[in-house]
Amino acid sequence: MAQIKERYTLTQPQKMMVFILSMSLYGLSNMITELVPEFNIGPVNFSIEYFAFIPLTLCILFHPFYAALGASVGEIIFGEIMLGQFGGFGEIEKLVLFTLAMCVAGLIVNNPKNKIQVGIAAITGVAIHQFLNMISDIMKVWIGVEDFEAVPGLPESVVAIEGFSFLNDVLFSGILFALLPTLYLVPRLYGKIEPLLGMKPRDNKTSYPISSILTPRFIAGGILLSAVGMGFEFLSEAGINVFEWEADFVDKFGNTAIFISLAVAAAVAALAVILMLSAKNRNKGNAVNE
Amino acid sequence: MAAVKNFADKISFEQIKVELLNTAYGNDRTLIARLDPRTLFIWYMLFGIAPWFIYSKTILAGLLLFVIATTIMTRVSRLVIFILILGLLGESGYMLIAALFFGGNLSIVVPLLMLTMKLSVISLASMTTFCSMSPERLGEGLMSIGVPGQVSFSISYGYRMLPNLFDEYNHIFMSYRLRGKSPEKHGIFYWRSAAYFVRLAMKSFYPLLLSMAKRARTTVEALETKGGAYAFSTPQVKKLKLAKLKIGRNDYLFLLLSLIYLVFIFIIGHYIQL
Repeated sequence: MAQIKERYTLTQPQKMMVFILSMSLYGLSNMITELVPEFNIGPVNFSIEYFAFIPLTLCILFHPFYAALGASVGEIIFGEIMLGQFGGFGEIEKLVLFTLAMCVAGLIVNNPKNKIQVGIAAITGVAIHQFLNMISDIMKVWIGVEDFEAVPGLPESVVAIEGFSFLNDVLFSGILFALLPTLYLVPRLYGKIEPLLGMKPRDNKTSYPISSILTPRFIAGGILLSAVGMGFEFLSEAGINVFEWEADFVDKFGNTAIFISLAVAAAVAALAVILMLSAKNRNKGNAVNE
Repeated sequence: MAAVKNFADKISFEQIKVELLNTAYGNDRTLIARLDPRTLFIWYMLFGIAPWFIYSKTILAGLLLFVIATTIMTRVSRLVIFILILGLLGESGYMLIAALFFGGNLSIVVPLLMLTMKLSVISLASMTTFCSMSPERLGEGLMSIGVPGQVSFSISYGYRMLPNLFDEYNHIFMSYRLRGKSPEKHGIFYWRSAAYFVRLAMKSFYPLLLSMAKRARTTVEALETKGGAYAFSTPQVKKLKLAKLKIGRNDYLFLLLSLIYLVFIFIIGHYIQL
């Protein structure tokens, strides 16, 4: 009789534990990597990009989604807000991409004792993350530069540079800071760290209901958020190019452009206020209904 | 060289910890820190987004002056400012090199300067907003604009735990160094020593993972005895928690003054073109 695979479920507090664990540790590692200087030898960048092994290890040992989400939130809190580098909306893209990559890495493994699986997952996680980053970077230049194809050699050089940095990141950071430490940590922690959180270790008898993580709502929300995030990132990246069309933009509209921009900013702020007020009223309404 | 050594002495684990604690808790009595978090969010939306749409150097300079003033008022720690400047210089320097490499000339300096100005306005605005608030207020503020309770809890928790975690990590790292054997030769460009340190830095996470797991469990259990999971999802609890947030006279005054200043520099920007 075929054995029915048990679903790997966690209670609400256990999810919170995984979240907190992953958030604090990855946040701490992020602060450390922020403070370590980087070395450039020619085009090769010898920086500690990130200690990807922490979220990878946790995603492999625990529920991938909560570990991945915790790591992303930790990065934003410790690496950005605390150091005063919060980029606002651009961070959303980072959060979605990183969560997605780490989550997939965790889903690949169904037996943490299998070193080959763990190794493949670690490299895949980093590769997915860097690949998505590369695509988003190339897209930004693509959208940002007018007549992208008209500039001779530009498309090739952008793809070449981004591709090279992708390979560099995967082969250098990926092996040194993701593959090797993950292979070192996962077997050592397996069976030791789970009881500390009051859980059973994962084994190949349990399966993740992938469909319950990747619900349509999550996917749609993720795509929407990353599009918004990319829009803002694009604005920041396109800074230089903005000046090129800015010249005739100002010529055409004169100072009206400035007032339009002020109006846009004011409108956004006003919208936020209205939304907040309506949310408050709705809450009040709910309270009355109850 | 002496300056580098002096600087290296200053950046110790202990120093960083103190600076971070200062950033988090040291300045919650300043004028801006006492404003309502929501006021600051609205303010941030103005100053964090508007610069992207502004192409007048006069106005940008005016904005920059204003956010520098607010940043000074919030008494942000030097470490944070130092990191910011390093990042800004690095970014524009990198872009300059990339642009020159692709056959640009020095005329690109002016737009780059403008970009740096925009980026600094935005960073300083975010610094004013996020570094001035104590973590608890930041958490409450985020909660009031609809961020899940778990996140706002995580922020307060993160700020509280970080100094301890930093300490513990430092201890583990030091004990590894004490027991370990550092390489006898530094190697070319110190690569042996660097590799040794990086390996220790990663290995030190092993004990930390275990002790942090224990700590996470204690935290969540403590949270559960107070009905944490229930509290995060119940609107009444949220209302009770946020009852003390009030947009008062100072908030309106602050927003009004910022707006007046904005209009003022826009008018100046209209007549004077830098």
